Amino acid sequence: MNRLSKGLGAVKTTAILIFAGLLTACAHTVSVDGQFPTPVGNQHPLTVGIYLSEDFRQFTYSENRDDRDEWNINTGRAQKNLFETVLGSMFKETVNLAQYPSNLPQGIDLVIVPEVRELQFTMPRETRVNIFEVWIKYDMHAYNQQGDSVAEWVITAYGKTPTAFLKSQEAALAQAINVALRDAGATLYTGFERVPELQAFLASRQRALTMKRTDADIQ
Amino acid sequence: MKFLRSLFSASTLLSVSIGAVLNSGCTTVVIDEYRRSNGELAAGDTVVILGRRHSSEYETEPDLIDCVGQTLHNPKAGVNVIPEQQFVDALYPWFEPRTAPMHIKSLSKLMDVPDVRDRMEKYGVKYIVWIDGNTETTSSAGSIGCSIGTAGAGCFGFGTWDKESDYEASVWDFRDQELSGKISADAQGTSYMPAIVVPIPLIARVQNNACKGMAAQLQEFLLPPQSASR
Repeated sequence: MNRLSKGLGAVKTTAILIFAGLLTACAHTVSVDGQFPTPVGNQHPLTVGIYLSEDFRQFTYSENRDDRDEWNINTGRAQKNLFETVLGSMFKETVNLAQYPSNLPQGIDLVIVPEVRELQFTMPRETRVNIFEVWIKYDMHAYNQQGDSVAEWVITAYGKTPTAFLKSQEAALAQAINVALRDAGATLYTGFERVPELQAFLASRQRALTMKRTDADIQ
Repeated sequence: MKFLRSLFSASTLLSVSIGAVLNSGCTTVVIDEYRRSNGELAAGDTVVILGRRHSSEYETEPDLIDCVGQTLHNPKAGVNVIPEQQFVDALYPWFEPRTAPMHIKSLSKLMDVPDVRDRMEKYGVKYIVWIDGNTETTSSAGSIGCSIGTAGAGCFGFGTWDKESDYEASVWDFRDQELSGKISADAQGTSYMPAIVVPIPLIARVQNNACKGMAAQLQEFLLPPQSASR
């Protein structure tokens, strides 16, 4: 009897181990920590505070649906690198803020706060095209020194990569996310001036600077 | 010993046949050219080869762009190619799929940004070559079955698949801000996989042949007539 219960116990343990093994076999973890090039172009004459929240810096997208494997995709470090690099080269001066809205340093014209609204991806077997695709949507917020909203706009990013050059699904997805993040940086850089509220803000700032220079010349 | 000798001669025969099939070339490549002006590459000038990635259905393969760039790069002959990734990074974000100039007119708008113009001039860019297209499997047939038994493992069957490459290269003269010409490369080929115990792939290198054909034509296209004939 003792031997029988011991045998049953062993069978149970083996079954649990197999089940746990199957579960982990279907779970995929992707960690993207890309480095991005510095944009080339003109700088806006502003001093800008960049606030990347803890959630943003450690952003992980998790998906566990019946029709798909389990995916945990960490893009936090990569998007932190991207936004710091791109925003850092867009303005005359940038300050990375550890907290917001309290203890805001003096002399800051704008504070920019990005948030991830959505991340989606498709695998080749779903689209029947040999391409991994990723979409990321960011909500962008700009505040003035007083904490009032100056502008809110959306950045959509798209990245894809063909399967042929990559070894694993994880590597392919990480590559597609890097492409999407580069696209987000490009949209942020080239689209900033096209946001009407920011265009007006930049124009007023430019006018103020011109007047200051004229006053200095007269004196 | 006799068995070993016959096995050796059989394998030699097999490799000779494979070599013959590979060398006989299962690929056909057709190159077309439309030229608006002659090449003017001078000492110190560089060429950039970039892939178009704006389509949602396919993307021009990075390895095809690498292949054309590496085949074309020949400083002794006067052709210096800047690697695609290096150039795209150096001019970020102006040559990303979403922001890249689609027409020569958009390129002149981009040159209004002084930092971008300076960097292009620093690189000595004379020509920008945009390659658009891809290689795809158009059809496949046959089947191969493999099995493992007490006597050993083995496969038996026959598989075949067709590949087609369709690329077009647009050559932009960066300094004169004009389209210098276009080169198209169409390649087709059939690959075979006979399997008698061991599957033996006889691959038609369609993309590679399209790359080599296009690179050879580009070299002729970009160099001034007297240099090209050398």
